[in-house]
Amino acid sequence: MNWVVNTLKSSVGKKLLMGMTGLLLCLFLVVHLAGNLLMYVGPEAYNNYAHTLHSQEWFVMMAETGLLVLFALHIWLGLETSRENRSARSQRYRVKRSKIPGRKIPFNVSPENYMLMTGVIVLAFLLIHLGDFTFNLTMPEELEGREPFDKAMIIMRHPVSFVSYLVGVILLGWHLAHGVTSMFQTLGLRHPKYDGLTQKAGPVFALIIAVGFASFPIYAVLTPYDPYAAPAAEESHGDEHSHQEEAFVVPSNITTCNLASPAADLI
Amino acid sequence: MSQLQSMVPDGPISEKWTRHKNSLKLVAPNNKRKFNIIVVGTGLAGASAAASLAEMGYNVKAFCYQDSARRAHSIAAQGGINAAKNYPNDGDSVWRLFYDTVKGGDFRSREANVYRLAEVSANIIDQCVAQGVPFARDYGGLLANRTFGGAQVSRTFYARGQTGQQLLLGAYSALMRQVNKGKVEVLSRREMLDLVQVDGMARGIITRDLATGEIERHAAHAVLLCTGGYGNVYYLSTNAMGCNVTAAWRCYKRGAYFANPCFTQIHPTCIPVHGTYQSKLTLMSESLRNDGRVWVPKDKDDKRAPNEIPESDRDYYLERRYPAFGNMVPRDIASRAAKERCDHGYGVGETGMSVYLDFSRAIKEQGREAIEAKYGNLFHMYKKITDENPYEVPMKIYPAVHYTMGGLWVDYNLQSTIPGLFVLGEANFSDHGANRLGASALMQGLADGYFVAPYTVGHHLADKKPETIDTTHAAFDDVEGQVRQKLSTLLDIQGSRSVDSFHRELGAVMWDYCGMARTEDGLKQAIDKIKDIRSNFWQDVRVTGQGEQLNMELEKAGRVADFLEFGELLARDALAREESCGGHFREEHQTEENESKRNDEQFQHVAAWEYHGDDAVPTRHTEELIFDNVEVTTRSYK
Amino acid sequence: MKIKLHIWRQSGRDAQGEFKTYELGNVSPHMSFLEMLDVLNEQLIADKEEPVAFDHDCREGICGSCGVVINGQPHGPDLETTTCQLHMRRFKDGAEIYIEPWRADSFPVLKDLVVDRTSFDRIQQAGGFVSVNTGNAPDANSTAVPKRDADLAFDAATCIGCGACVAACKNASAMLFVSAKVSQYALLPQGGPERPIRVQKMIAQMDKEGFGGCSNTNECEAACPAGISVKNIARLNREFISASVASDEKME
Ligand SMILES: Cc1cc2nc3c(=O)[nH]c(=O)nc-3n(C[C@H](O)[C@H](O)[C@H](O)COP(=O)(O)OP(=O)(O)OC[C@H]3O[C@@H](n4cnc5c(N)ncnc54)[C@H](O)[C@@H]3O)c2cc1C
Ligand code: HEM
Ligand code: HEM
Ligand code: SF4
Ligand code: F3S
Ligand code: FES
Repeated sequence: MNWVVNTLKSSVGKKLLMGMTGLLLCLFLVVHLAGNLLMYVGPEAYNNYAHTLHSQEWFVMMAETGLLVLFALHIWLGLETSRENRSARSQRYRVKRSKIPGRKIPFNVSPENYMLMTGVIVLAFLLIHLGDFTFNLTMPEELEGREPFDKAMIIMRHPVSFVSYLVGVILLGWHLAHGVTSMFQTLGLRHPKYDGLTQKAGPVFALIIAVGFASFPIYAVLTPYDPYAAPAAEESHGDEHSHQEEAFVVPSNITTCNLASPAADLI
Repeated sequence: MSQLQSMVPDGPISEKWTRHKNSLKLVAPNNKRKFNIIVVGTGLAGASAAASLAEMGYNVKAFCYQDSARRAHSIAAQGGINAAKNYPNDGDSVWRLFYDTVKGGDFRSREANVYRLAEVSANIIDQCVAQGVPFARDYGGLLANRTFGGAQVSRTFYARGQTGQQLLLGAYSALMRQVNKGKVEVLSRREMLDLVQVDGMARGIITRDLATGEIERHAAHAVLLCTGGYGNVYYLSTNAMGCNVTAAWRCYKRGAYFANPCFTQIHPTCIPVHGTYQSKLTLMSESLRNDGRVWVPKDKDDKRAPNEIPESDRDYYLERRYPAFGNMVPRDIASRAAKERCDHGYGVGETGMSVYLDFSRAIKEQGREAIEAKYGNLFHMYKKITDENPYEVPMKIYPAVHYTMGGLWVDYNLQSTIPGLFVLGEANFSDHGANRLGASALMQGLADGYFVAPYTVGHHLADKKPETIDTTHAAFDDVEGQVRQKLSTLLDIQGSRSVDSFHRELGAVMWDYCGMARTEDGLKQAIDKIKDIRSNFWQDVRVTGQGEQLNMELEKAGRVADFLEFGELLARDALAREESCGGHFREEHQTEENESKRNDEQFQHVAAWEYHGDDAVPTRHTEELIFDNVEVTTRSYK
Repeated sequence: MKIKLHIWRQSGRDAQGEFKTYELGNVSPHMSFLEMLDVLNEQLIADKEEPVAFDHDCREGICGSCGVVINGQPHGPDLETTTCQLHMRRFKDGAEIYIEPWRADSFPVLKDLVVDRTSFDRIQQAGGFVSVNTGNAPDANSTAVPKRDADLAFDAATCIGCGACVAACKNASAMLFVSAKVSQYALLPQGGPERPIRVQKMIAQMDKEGFGGCSNTNECEAACPAGISVKNIARLNREFISASVASDEKME
């Protein structure tokens, strides 16, 4: 297995793994988006989906572990390669300008120059997000025992969450606008016939993800739906969950959306 | 002169090299690693020799003045490399390549050397392809050929307009492989400043580390000089800025004979001079003449734009004068014809010192794409420099100094008159006689380096003891002292003029009096003028900075100081050669049709100069040239 | 033309550098950029100052010696053009120009605008060759090479080793340079036998020299005077994947 270590020690190997984790995270995003889109079908559908998912405990466990590993790897590699890349040039340029002809986006705001920054902001968003949904840290009393749909609405209407969700997903889009196209290159997936497609894949995918996710907080604010209408903490399965919370440390009531099966399978 | 032993082996010409190789002494494999060899220069000749010798087991140190071995000036060769492969099946053979080269050189080269060159030419292509050199190929996947000047067959292999680059990178990769194996040490940014001899044998060199200014000693059992040509004595030339005669010149001053310095090649298709600040001239490959047609207006006063001049008012003077070869005549002839037109007032462009090279017919017949595929990078380069689009407007071209056939005298084994000092590539007086045909310098450099020197150097070493050579030997002290002395003198003058200003002044004299046409009177004047410039230089040059640092002015000063001595020798040689042949055209010796007139009775020889001291007149030795295999005729391309 | 220059001056490898400002009066638009610097140097010598050191040799865009960062762009504003091929007609009268050396820790500055690029040589030494001894070659036409592959290999082989890719890259990555070499040999049958080991060794050396990794920002391609495409980087990645995962060829 020496070759694995050697491969991962090299800059190209690291980048390769970055690309692969990025790809799997993208698949998770697709699934996560699809799950959340059920909000538009209606509270019933969304809640059902969440409950069904949560009843598959072992699967949820696997997927969560997988996700955790993916995120951890991706973030660690992102920080590590960024550090290495920065240290390759200790004396910076006084003036720096792009030579890429016909740039649509000006060089100084172009996404590839902000991968670490957008990545870190996404990470910050993620922590807030997990704090909101998974660990019930933001408003524990209000959310106590509520249906997933109602929970989501309450959280997203909170001004701090609202803003951070919007900013978070837009920057996630910025991250992916470069990231996805870059990933094809990193994985060596280039071919004259498909180059046009892969070059556009990044921005298009990024747009879909950003608009898709951004629509939820906006919807939450605009919809007349009242999440406090239904009484809280009466569902029987709510209790089961609190057991597990103690048993497994990782609380499982976060998994409404966790359909990351393809990702988990691939790991 | 009996001193010049050419060492050409006996036997029929086609068997000389094989027989000779069989008779050369060998060094036992376990002894090879006890021999150290110095290779100065990493161009085609140097890189190929260093790599091949290292493969055989010798320890090699390779030197170049650039920051990387890959940047030697061979990289700039554009057009191609000849080889008698006869892949196109147009009747080519070793014999024809041999004959064309001897004739192209105006019967001033050594038959046996040229034959050997033609013989190994085919192996060069095999070797390069095996190294991964991406030569141009046909749709069937086999190698493509093009035609070059002075030949009626298609035998030139090429890699778009970057043949030299691809060949050099091939040789460089072979060199890098040996560095990886620990058999070669490349010392870049090192300039050889002198040769060290122990007991009459070349046993080391003194170099300056150009990055630190440190003066270093290097010892070896043999020294190979592969330092390229001296075209920069003219200041403006197609050579790289750093090309110099220094290494060869210092060896000359240590006893190596300098042969035929007046044989310089003026290339017909270069971008004309455009201003006084100009630092160098750019070649437009000869291959362009395959499709480009050279012309000037028929009427001197025709000031119309080229595209407005109708066919009937154009003088395609090469096609007119040389119907058999047309635009594909050899370089010396094409250059002189251009000069003739311009001197008579038919020249075009702002200065009147250029002629047109027109592609409109080729573009019409073959389409722009085909022309772009063949010459794209050259057209791009032309446009960059001149701001004119050669797809639409004819190029303006004029001859410029390009190559030097002269160089240190060597025998059949490529050994100079100093035992243990071998000279390869453009630096030796070579196989090209008085004029080199296109695409044969690359061939010669690689032939010398891959296929000749590795055998003959071994022969030299075979009867030597592989004892270690001590760089503390008095000979090293002595030479190093002189080198240091010279450098500090240069730094101490602190005069008022820059090094470049002297170089420009020398260049102007060389071009005016020792250029495309030479006269007795002019050459005598040149000698006096060069002496003047030289004495001014040693009184009034200003070299800024110190010796113990990266100091490019000091580097240049050393080179120009040598050019100032060498230029005089060039003029002397031109003066002594009372005939016109190849690139050497003496106005006194021409036919009624202004073609060159050789004097075979008196000058069918190599002139090799021996140094006797800075103020003494050098001795001119001669090596008679005997042509047993080809008939010496008047060169005609009509 | 009048030009104002801000040039990085550094007296030696470990010395502290700084920008110095110079004014030049009579610049001709037909001059090349290096000829403009020649004129400046003549002026400096006349003033008994040390001229600006910069690397150059062929002055026709092929040797790869020259190269400075001009107003933030390696080799200046023109595409597929080396510094020596850049002409002053590209600049406006009165222009202000910042000139800096390539900046990368793997290319230490030796003096002013001169940098040490021997790290490129060491990468090549690690595997940028075909192991064939002189005299061992079969006939050149014994292996046909599809013209398309030969052309692609040629495109990759035209790299002049100038280092502008490193200079342009925000990570000071040498990936374009390395990928060009790896591609040339990967595309030709002659390079076949050593493919797996070559790519691993060259990348290992590249990392050892301290170059950054690739973030696929494509600046290198735009700065490259030889027009080397980043498609070669994709090919290098592919070569690396198959070499490290699928081949049993191991680095010692
Ligand atoms: C623009 C141009 C185009 C050409 N096109 C063609 C062509 O199409 N076909 C063809 O056959 N020929 C062509 N030629 C000629 C051919 O390129 C050269 O003759 C040939 O490459 C010379 O090779 P070389 O190895 O002898 O020397 P070079 O390649 O010149 O190498 C000289 C080496 O010596 C080193 N050196 C020099 N002086 C010193 C010193 N004092 N100390 C240490 N090192 C030193 C240099 O660093 C360099 O490594 C062309 C030449 C030019 C200028
Ligand atoms: C859902 C979240 C994320 C997704 C889907 C994602 C996806 C991607 C993708 C596809 C790439 C391109 C990889 C390649 O070029 O091969 C990438 C690169 C990168 N990611 Fe993320 N990423 C996410 C979160 C993060 C986070 C939280 C960080 C935080 C540190 C981060 C840091 C980076 C960095 C620095 C790069 C650039 C690496 C480089 O170009 O060298 N990413 N990401
Ligand atoms: C803005 C719209 C979003 C909404 C409405 C939303 C909603 C949710 C919900 C409801 C959960 C499940 C909580 C639970 O089951 O207890 C969840 C979990 C999660 N979300 Fe989101 N999400 C959004 C955006 C994102 C984005 C952009 C990312 C990625 C960067 C993301 C990453 C995650 C992760 C990693 C989990 C935890 C999954 C697990 O632990 O199984 N979410 N999200
Ligand atoms: S890839 Fe381009 S920019 Fe990089 S070294 Fe080669 S030629 Fe220069
Ligand atoms: S600019 Fe740098 S990030 Fe990669 S694509 Fe080129 S090496
Ligand atoms: S000086 Fe050779 S590429 Fe510019």
